[in-house]
Amino acid sequence: MSEDVTPVVQKLVDGLQLSEADWARLIGSSDLIALGMAADAVRRRRHDDRVTFVQVLEVPVDGEQLEGPIPKQTGEVRVTGCPASHATAVAAVRAVVAHAGAVPVTGFAFADLDAVSGHDRNRLGTLLGDLRAAGLAQLGEVSAEGLRDPDGALAVLRSSGVTAARVTLGTATGDVALSLIRQVASWEGVGQVCRCLAPLPRVGPSPPSTGYADLRQVALARLLVDNIESIQVDWSRYGPKLAQVALTFGADDVDAVPVAGGENQGWRRSPGEEIRRNITGAGFTPVPRDGRFEALDVDPGSERRAGH
Amino acid sequence: MSVESIAEKVRSGGRVDRAEALTLYADAPTLLLGQLADAIRARKHPAGVVTYIIDRNVNYTNVCVARCAFCAFYRPVGSDEGYVLGFDELFQKIDETLAVGGVQVLLQGGHNPDLPLEWYEDLFRAIKARYPDFKLHALSPPELLHLSRLSQQPVPVVVRRLVDAGLDSVPGGGAEILVDRARRLLNCESKATADEWISVMRTVHQAGLRSTATMMYGSVERPDERVEHLYRLRELQDETGGFTAFITWSYQPTNTELGGVEATGVEYLRTLALSRIVLDNFDNLQASWVTQGGKVGQLSLAYGANDMGSIMIEENVVRAAGAAYCMDEAEIVRNIEDAGFVPKRRTMAYDILGDPLFRERDIPRRTELAVARAAGDTAVPAELSRYPARSRPGKQQRDAVTES
Ligand code: SF4
Repeated sequence: MSEDVTPVVQKLVDGLQLSEADWARLIGSSDLIALGMAADAVRRRRHDDRVTFVQVLEVPVDGEQLEGPIPKQTGEVRVTGCPASHATAVAAVRAVVAHAGAVPVTGFAFADLDAVSGHDRNRLGTLLGDLRAAGLAQLGEVSAEGLRDPDGALAVLRSSGVTAARVTLGTATGDVALSLIRQVASWEGVGQVCRCLAPLPRVGPSPPSTGYADLRQVALARLLVDNIESIQVDWSRYGPKLAQVALTFGADDVDAVPVAGGENQGWRRSPGEEIRRNITGAGFTPVPRDGRFEALDVDPGSERRAGH
Repeated sequence: MSVESIAEKVRSGGRVDRAEALTLYADAPTLLLGQLADAIRARKHPAGVVTYIIDRNVNYTNVCVARCAFCAFYRPVGSDEGYVLGFDELFQKIDETLAVGGVQVLLQGGHNPDLPLEWYEDLFRAIKARYPDFKLHALSPPELLHLSRLSQQPVPVVVRRLVDAGLDSVPGGGAEILVDRARRLLNCESKATADEWISVMRTVHQAGLRSTATMMYGSVERPDERVEHLYRLRELQDETGGFTAFITWSYQPTNTELGGVEATGVEYLRTLALSRIVLDNFDNLQASWVTQGGKVGQLSLAYGANDMGSIMIEENVVRAAGAAYCMDEAEIVRNIEDAGFVPKRRTMAYDILGDPLFRERDIPRRTELAVARAAGDTAVPAELSRYPARSRPGKQQRDAVTES
């Protein structure tokens, strides 16, 4: 077992600066609970007891288009998958936006758009601008894994006026993830164009990461990355139990809460009720938000339909 | 008393009372509960060893007259889906268990009115004759009570007869919540009241057997009833010292008459941590990865658990209620080591058997738990005809087996 890090955690709780040695002790500690307490102290200073969540309706970029009314609880319509070309990306966004009405439309990964643009930053900038003009509210993600020129990436986002919902760590776990977290923490101005860091692996590693490893990654993300506002966990990817526990380890935003139920994944009531119950059960106040990270007015009588 | 003053009392090794436990449960931050529970775990197990047992969880029958409202496993007498495992089927399961290094079978089942005490005695004797060193961890207190009622023999006599036949230890199932208000709502008061459960367990301990203790939370009970349950166990443990371990799991609502929703992962960790704090006279707390999944199951080790329970091999009851997580020995060991602990195999009495077995010999990986019977298999074991049935459908079935 590692040395006692309680004094370091107490410094964080008291809002004091940590020395290099303090940081080293904290990061090297195998005391998961102490790490959680430290991360929780930091997240509470930023977000108090608020946990935001978004209910997402997914639309594959090359699949069937949306039909019928958008369920009123939808906070975001997300175009998923990799577009085949500049034109298909823009056309898909245009079509979804036309149907989604007031609900923000997001989608695409930075790396995919970069590839579609032939890794040419001018063409990428044009594509991002066209997507924005077509109504894209936010880019889906920027993966830190494999991103060769973060400054350039952030610059092209800034110049095209597009913000990204989240920075991800791709498939990274363990020391690789920790190294990426440190890199993200050094990205200047990232917080102006990326709202969240989603520190858990997007694609399940094999063998799967453990609960300890996941929560350690969430806590370290909150502790080390102070240039990004929110630490995000994904309700659909990691399941309600882990996502809920992660809220006590520094996460403050829950992504990808489904619009409709999914009994095979453990939900036994409507996802909206279930996420609220889980956030409250973890000791926080649930705040529904939309795809622009704006808090939603949850008047149960208000119906949001396509085209409104 | 404030949360901080109760926490200080726990840190200095003091015993918390019911009111203090309730205050902790209601008001203490989850991470503080974890910190307090983890410190107790570290005090009791300073070498950082986390244990597990290789055994098989076999449900010998799903026919049950108790009809608990939270149970998705049972079938009523006469149901087409009702089954009783034959002796040969059980031997085969034991052979499979031995092949992966298993040391015991956990044998529990429904309250089947057509299985008299003699069936159990013959089964236990037959198992012990074939597998003299293999352990029988069998029959929870409500099953023992059911056999007492069915055979019209006092519980101590039933326990003595079963011990003579080969019973080694008793699982702590059927406790649910040891408060009769909750038991009435769960329709399980008739199978055993809280006092009856405690009394049967006392008899078991007095007979020289060790047992585990359990709690199923998250159904109809109030927080104070959850706390009361823990104190009933703590008081009996003070008296007999017969419990080896405590296991808590959340009510699994799928396919049950009671329905409802499952308690959350945070609630599980809080309940586990509180149990570690209250049950200061229990040496061991098990993680319930079967109901919580591998990730939260592993996190139990930071919230007071020092044991990953059983490799299990087979599981029927929790699966019927919607949870079907599986971890073989290699996966359990990976989770223990990843959390910074030292994995060791153990017996039911928590005697250490050794290091992980899969590192010593080739054991095939297993990605799903076996079931008692394949779906649609309605075979009736031939030996059942030797035992008198009590129910009308049971008698008809016996007659049919005898004629064929
Ligand atoms: S929990 Fe046990 S006693 Fe109750 S109905 Fe199910 S099988 Fe029968």
